[in-house]
Amino acid sequence: MKKRKMFIRMITASLMRRRSRMIVALLSIAIGATILSGLVSIYYDVPRQMGAQFRNYGANMIFTGEDGSLGLDEVIAGEKKIDPAELVGAAPYRYENVRINDIPVVAAGTDPQGVQKTSPYWRVEGSWFSGGGELLVGASVAESFRIKSGDVIDVSFTPAAQEDESGEEEFVMDNFKTFTVMGILQTGGSEENYIYMSLDDLRELTGTEGSIDVAELSVSAGQEELSAYIDAINSGVKGVHASLVKRVTASEATVLTKLQALVLLVTIVVLALTMICVATTMTAVVAERRKEIGLRKAIGASDKSIIQEFMGESMLLGLLGGALGSVLGYVFAQQVSINVFSSSISFRPVLVPVTVIASIAVTGISSLMPIRSATDVDPAMVLKGE
Amino acid sequence: MSLLELKNVYKIYGDLHALDDVSLKVEKGEWVSIMGPSGSGKSTMMNIIGCMDKPSKGEVLLDGVDISKESKKNLTNIRRDKIGLIFQQFHLVNYLTAVENVMLAQYYHSIPDEKEALEALERVGLGDRAKHLPSQLSGGEQQRVCVARALINYPEVILADEPTGNLDEANEEIVVELFHKLHNEGTTLIVVTHDPEVAEVAQRTLVLRSGKLSKEIVNENFTGKIHFD
Amino acid sequence: MFFRMIRGTLFRQWKKMLMIAFTIALGASLASAMLSVMLDVGDKVNQELKTYGANITVVPKENSVLSELYEVEDGGVSGAYLREDELGKIKTIFWAFNIVDFAPFVNVDCTLEDGTEVQCVGSWFDHHMDLPTGETLDAGVVSLRSWWELEEGQWLDEQLLSDSADAAMVGKDLAQKLDLKPGDTLRVSGPAADRELRVAGIYDAGGTEDMQIYLQLDTAQSLADLEGCVDRIEVSALTTPENELSERAAKDPSSLTVAQMETWTCTAYASSICYQIQQVITDSVAAPVRQVADSEGAILSKTQLLMILITILSLIGAALGICNLVTASVMERAQEIGLMKALGAQNLSIALLVLCEIAITAVFGGVGGFFAGFGFAQLIGHTVFGSAIEMRPMVVPIVAVLVVIVTLIGSIPAIKMLLGLRPTEVLHGR
Repeated sequence: MKKRKMFIRMITASLMRRRSRMIVALLSIAIGATILSGLVSIYYDVPRQMGAQFRNYGANMIFTGEDGSLGLDEVIAGEKKIDPAELVGAAPYRYENVRINDIPVVAAGTDPQGVQKTSPYWRVEGSWFSGGGELLVGASVAESFRIKSGDVIDVSFTPAAQEDESGEEEFVMDNFKTFTVMGILQTGGSEENYIYMSLDDLRELTGTEGSIDVAELSVSAGQEELSAYIDAINSGVKGVHASLVKRVTASEATVLTKLQALVLLVTIVVLALTMICVATTMTAVVAERRKEIGLRKAIGASDKSIIQEFMGESMLLGLLGGALGSVLGYVFAQQVSINVFSSSISFRPVLVPVTVIASIAVTGISSLMPIRSATDVDPAMVLKGE
Repeated sequence: MSLLELKNVYKIYGDLHALDDVSLKVEKGEWVSIMGPSGSGKSTMMNIIGCMDKPSKGEVLLDGVDISKESKKNLTNIRRDKIGLIFQQFHLVNYLTAVENVMLAQYYHSIPDEKEALEALERVGLGDRAKHLPSQLSGGEQQRVCVARALINYPEVILADEPTGNLDEANEEIVVELFHKLHNEGTTLIVVTHDPEVAEVAQRTLVLRSGKLSKEIVNENFTGKIHFD
Repeated sequence: MFFRMIRGTLFRQWKKMLMIAFTIALGASLASAMLSVMLDVGDKVNQELKTYGANITVVPKENSVLSELYEVEDGGVSGAYLREDELGKIKTIFWAFNIVDFAPFVNVDCTLEDGTEVQCVGSWFDHHMDLPTGETLDAGVVSLRSWWELEEGQWLDEQLLSDSADAAMVGKDLAQKLDLKPGDTLRVSGPAADRELRVAGIYDAGGTEDMQIYLQLDTAQSLADLEGCVDRIEVSALTTPENELSERAAKDPSSLTVAQMETWTCTAYASSICYQIQQVITDSVAAPVRQVADSEGAILSKTQLLMILITILSLIGAALGICNLVTASVMERAQEIGLMKALGAQNLSIALLVLCEIAITAVFGGVGGFFAGFGFAQLIGHTVFGSAIEMRPMVVPIVAVLVVIVTLIGSIPAIKMLLGLRPTEVLHGR
């Protein structure tokens, strides 16, 4: 197949020896392809990445006990129903009325690691608490009791009075526990009115096992998926009643849909304009070679073979540009993802053939028209003119 | 039967009669020059003979086929098979090497054969410049590549349009000598030129004036060989 | 002659010039569309984020803390309240335009006939206000709590004065517990008065509000004899994401220098809006709701950064596209320029000629592109956000400078090449 060899030889010669021109064309195709693959990756990644941002709003699912009491085991059983990759965090809360200086305050026992994940908006001056007598105090409480971080305070708890045989209330001593205030909590919400300690500390203080009042969960998933989880947990886990925090989920759905639509539209507009840019460049590249086309016709090339050669060249350019573009596009999307969301993007293998095929198609179609019009030209005119 | 015969050919652009009732015959193996000042219809004639244009009226018989009736596509095929073109501006594809430019003609004609193309270049004395790009060749060398390209498919006719128009004297001589060599090998040559020196060496010179054949000069001294001494 | 030559190129080579103009127009439209969208995306997304509700709460200064603390313990009433008659002032602060919505709340603990304790909340629903500035404002929980869904009945309509005073919105859980339907009546006794209320509608809030009863502000006030008093104001404002300066200012505005103070007050930080609200509402403490304010900040800045990066990518794309075509089309004219040189043209005059031609083309292309781009921006604005993208004057110079620089850069290699031409070579067709 000598003929094919010559075909390939001509195309490579054209690409290699007209290097500067071809690089210009290649560059423009590669940019088009970069924009295509980059923006499409971003488009597909936005819901996931932005969804993670929306988790800043805090818990979007809560567990409550079906009969008013909820055990830690039940919470964990409920959590197990959720895909661990989507579960951002979970925090159980147990509320008890305690006293500081004999003034009543609500104490919440919780898991500090969980809270930091479910309520990332909490602002703590000082440091977070962990177990072992450490306390986080809401800003309002801190203000009224003039508590600063580093203070050591006593917290007391009055156990439920028990009736003795005679029906009279037995006198019960208050439980005391000494805590170190690790930090002051600011949220701008009702959380500022509570004090926070670990579940173990609260159990020690109250002297009773108690039960979880509510567990907050932050799940990075769409509205429908969340509803599916709710159904699965409510029907599958005994003793747990799961519900969505409507304020968070409903708003997230509205905003996220808009954001995705925004990126989609921007992608379409940018892509359309870029494709036209590629097309004009290819038109210019081909138009420049009218004379050469005339010469080839003069020495006996048929229209078909000219179209074949030039299209072969354009499509090869499209292939190279597309391949280059899909790599650059991935790099771009990765950079965007790291800079904007500080997380990496997953590589989508499907995008490579899509980008390559799209850029071949765009370059092919945009060169076809000028090539066709060039083959209509009388070779004599081209060779004489200019 | 003549190889090429024009019978009462007209080419009319609006009011302008570029060719006005031209009739001529070229026999196989003949070397004919067509001369005339610019605007005399040389180029039009060349385009018609070269199957790149059709006459408005009249018959053009090439190897017995009336090319004035053929479709554009067939004209391309006829040109490819029967005619070798040489241009004033050389018209080489500037990103292909000398040998590749020759092979291009083979490619469109049948099957490219590098060995044969190299031989053709050797015949025009460029065997050692085969791998050079046109930009690395002198004008004369480029024109010789053009000749090699025109020859490669063993055309019935070599049609040269001002082949020496862009060449200095030394290169002109080389090209003219090449024509002699071709003529001796039996190639039919039609050379369009306005240079009397180039025209004179042919067997026959046809002079065009305002679209008409005004004169025919037969070179009595034509020996088939010119001696530069 | 110079102009004649330029005119000659523009008119006789109009096809080629049209193509350059077209590419420049494409680039310019891409640039202006992306810039307009990018500059406006903050406001637009901010507006969308208002669905999360209030991002600023205002409470009375004195014992603002203890009121809620005691409430937990004994449902008592603390002494400090905000004044209802000052509410309109919120719309008179410097950042009045950024305040999208706000509503006052007053909580009253009541008992029902069967002894159930419920919390009644007085607020605005679709409150209509005529502001001292002559403007009007409609605000209230209907818009502030956009995630609430009406389960049955209708929203309480404040404009129907005859009807609304005794109307109540009942939370879904409470309605279920008491088996209430719209149209039913229930009797509530507050600390100061009893009232017969008619259920207007039942709402689903997906939170603790589902156990509450929402009343019109003055109805709730009458239950506890709190005429003119407000417990809390929730404000929904368009804000700029917080930064180091705003956080410092929020802690102690007096620590700022004059210049910093100016920056702070002239930027719509949540903290500076809070500060201004505190100044107009007597004895109040305004604080950003961290849950909303922080998340808004994060999402806003991420979206903006995302758009900036996409914009940069498309600007680079547009720039290279223009560069390419300008280079290609100028180089095509090698022969013409060679001829001009042979005729004795100086390098400078050739460069000037080529630049002028391209500049004129660029002006047409750029202007056309700018308007097309603005159209694209509107398309995006209307499709996504249902509102127009604001035309920012700064887009014009940016796009103009961009087009000029890009076309110049695009012409430099070509002009350099043209100047390096030797006329003989060109004319001999090499």
